[in-house]
Amino acid sequence: MAEGKTLTLNMGPHHPATHGVLRIVLELDGEVIVKATPHVGQLHRGIEKIAEGMNFQQVIPLTDRLDYTAASLNNLGYCLAVEKLLGIEVPKRAQYIRVIMGELARIMGHHLWLGSHALDIGAMTVVFYTFRDREMIMNINEEASGYRLTPSYLRVGGLAKDITPDFIKFVRDFVKWFPTAIDGYHTLLTDNIIWRKRTMGVGKVSAEDAVNFGFTGPSLRGSGVPYDLRKVRPYSSYDDFDFQVPVGEVGDVYDRYLVRMEEFKQSINIIDQAIENLPEGPVNVDNPWVANPDLGAVMEDISALIRRFKIQCEGPHAPEGEVYASVEGSKGELGFYLVGDGSEHPYRMKIRSPCYILTSALPKMIVGHMIADVIAIIGSIDIVLGEIDR
Amino acid sequence: MVKLTIDGKEVKVPAGTTILAAAKSAGISIPTLCFHGRLDPIGSCRMCVVEIEGCAHPMAACTTPVVEGISVTTNSERLQRIRKDSLKLILVNHPLDCPICDKGGECLLQDLVYEFGIDRVEYQTPKPERSSQYATPLIRYWPDRCIMCLRCVTACREIKGIGAIDIKGAGYGSQVVVIDEDKCQSCGECLQVCPTGALTENLSRYKGRPWLVKRVPTTCTYCGCGCQLELNVEQNRVMAVTTKEGKGVNRGSLCVKGRFGYEFINSEERLTKPLIKKDGEFREASWDDALSLVAEKFKSIKEESGPDAIAGLSSARCTNEENYLFQKFMRAVIGTNNVDHCARL
Ligand code: FES
Repeated sequence: MAEGKTLTLNMGPHHPATHGVLRIVLELDGEVIVKATPHVGQLHRGIEKIAEGMNFQQVIPLTDRLDYTAASLNNLGYCLAVEKLLGIEVPKRAQYIRVIMGELARIMGHHLWLGSHALDIGAMTVVFYTFRDREMIMNINEEASGYRLTPSYLRVGGLAKDITPDFIKFVRDFVKWFPTAIDGYHTLLTDNIIWRKRTMGVGKVSAEDAVNFGFTGPSLRGSGVPYDLRKVRPYSSYDDFDFQVPVGEVGDVYDRYLVRMEEFKQSINIIDQAIENLPEGPVNVDNPWVANPDLGAVMEDISALIRRFKIQCEGPHAPEGEVYASVEGSKGELGFYLVGDGSEHPYRMKIRSPCYILTSALPKMIVGHMIADVIAIIGSIDIVLGEIDR
Repeated sequence: MVKLTIDGKEVKVPAGTTILAAAKSAGISIPTLCFHGRLDPIGSCRMCVVEIEGCAHPMAACTTPVVEGISVTTNSERLQRIRKDSLKLILVNHPLDCPICDKGGECLLQDLVYEFGIDRVEYQTPKPERSSQYATPLIRYWPDRCIMCLRCVTACREIKGIGAIDIKGAGYGSQVVVIDEDKCQSCGECLQVCPTGALTENLSRYKGRPWLVKRVPTTCTYCGCGCQLELNVEQNRVMAVTTKEGKGVNRGSLCVKGRFGYEFINSEERLTKPLIKKDGEFREASWDDALSLVAEKFKSIKEESGPDAIAGLSSARCTNEENYLFQKFMRAVIGTNNVDHCARL
């Protein structure tokens, strides 16, 4: 190619390695990227706007569809925000079960990340193993709520219903099995020479840059910043559990890989502690305006019937005010900003999407690399377009 | 003017005002159930109780007039307990009907139970036998949903000046009954003010939830009063007619025609195309054909027997403009003064 001339290449939105419908316009000098412009919005469904017309409980299934790879964590972030707005705290048992569901969701998210990340780079086998194990979590979701991918199991004020003995059994089985599975993943990739060549030294982000870009989650920790909301601002009883926050050193694709691999272990560790120390008690707040009376009472007691009618058809009214609550999602800090205006709808809901912020740093990360590395880098920040586009 | 304090606020109101109205003017709201803006205070539900300094017993704010210098408390633990207990005593007898009740969703009793967060009714009584009956062919009365607030009885007497219904019996056996069948016109004023689903409309029952219908404000076409009403429309069908309190000349009242005479709108038998009789049988025709036939006939009658052989009859359901045009047509085009109108017949 003549001196100073570049080639423009359109990558996506229908590219399997852009993890959804991300479109990147690349400017190439030979095979080296000199400029990259991500275009988002292809999956925009207007979730924040739709929420304004719904009552607080109805919004929950919408949140499942943000980062659908780790749906329960989205539920958790949203429920915590509404609960903060309403000034209620859910009982201990519900908090523990939420932690279990959340950590299982994180593992599900990482499963999808690992499988597709390896697949993108050319290691096809991994995805079969991760999806084999992901299936076990799907079964747990199904046992809890009836749904497998998007369980919508959490409710404002607690949970949809209490867990079953089978749920406990499935979780225990998974906790017992999963460490073996993780070892299997490691065997396939960690010392694999091709894997290391494709990932080491690629897409490096220094700790300072990562902070300045607004990175959170495993992508930030891969650069060596030990920032994890579960530790710095514990919610939902996370301070009851003993776990570590893994960090990387170099901040390249390989480090981010190692961090997430270690998070598998930490998550299973947390689930183990939660399921073994599960407190007894109710799973919904004792609050007549929020908690749905159970069906038994509804058949007998008119006041329960009336409250159920009102809670289902209208739901609790939020006081005037604004709140922000966030959780450590599988991709980073997932935050919900809610404004209440005294009605049963959120006046405004704004979602802080960690993936959106990670995507904004993509051009910086891929410039100077080859096209093949773009795939590795996108995979390593683990973005989900359902959350970016909302 | 009388001066008093309500919740520590100084309030000045004309003598004779009730404590409830005085509180409202000061922006303090007191929960009410039987009180209705268009009726004289009834004082049957005890939701509006307030404490007055120096009075041993709480008083009903809706019926108690203000007195110079008193100090009123509208909210305290004791008052909340009394209000909750009053509600619970109403609930003791209330059937588990919300799922099938037409009023569900805009029921004052539901609103209050939810507002007060009542989660248990500790009292129990033997449930009376269920019965539902027609108060009239248009209005259905559900005795077990009735909370005996007396709004219907008062409205019939005060707003309509009829007094066709009253309460019969005492205690759990009391019921609203028609005391004079000839007087009741089925105007529906009673169901308009009913806070619960004890009086429901018989034409539209079970057809839809109040929050699912679209309420289209319009003017009644039955007579020249021009009452404001709202058509409750669901899937392009009129399900019911309601009216808003304090709106238009009727201020929340309707007569039997305005409230219940809506079924013709979606009637199958309604004529939507002109018909022309041929060989003793009506056949559908186009407007052009129909109008030219009428014009032809007018012409021939006028030529044969003169314009006074034709008379025009108009309707009160047309607008003034339409009626004006009609008489103009009769006088100027046909050339006759034979114009009349159903309201004069
Ligand atoms: S509102 Fe005063 S007694 Fe019912």
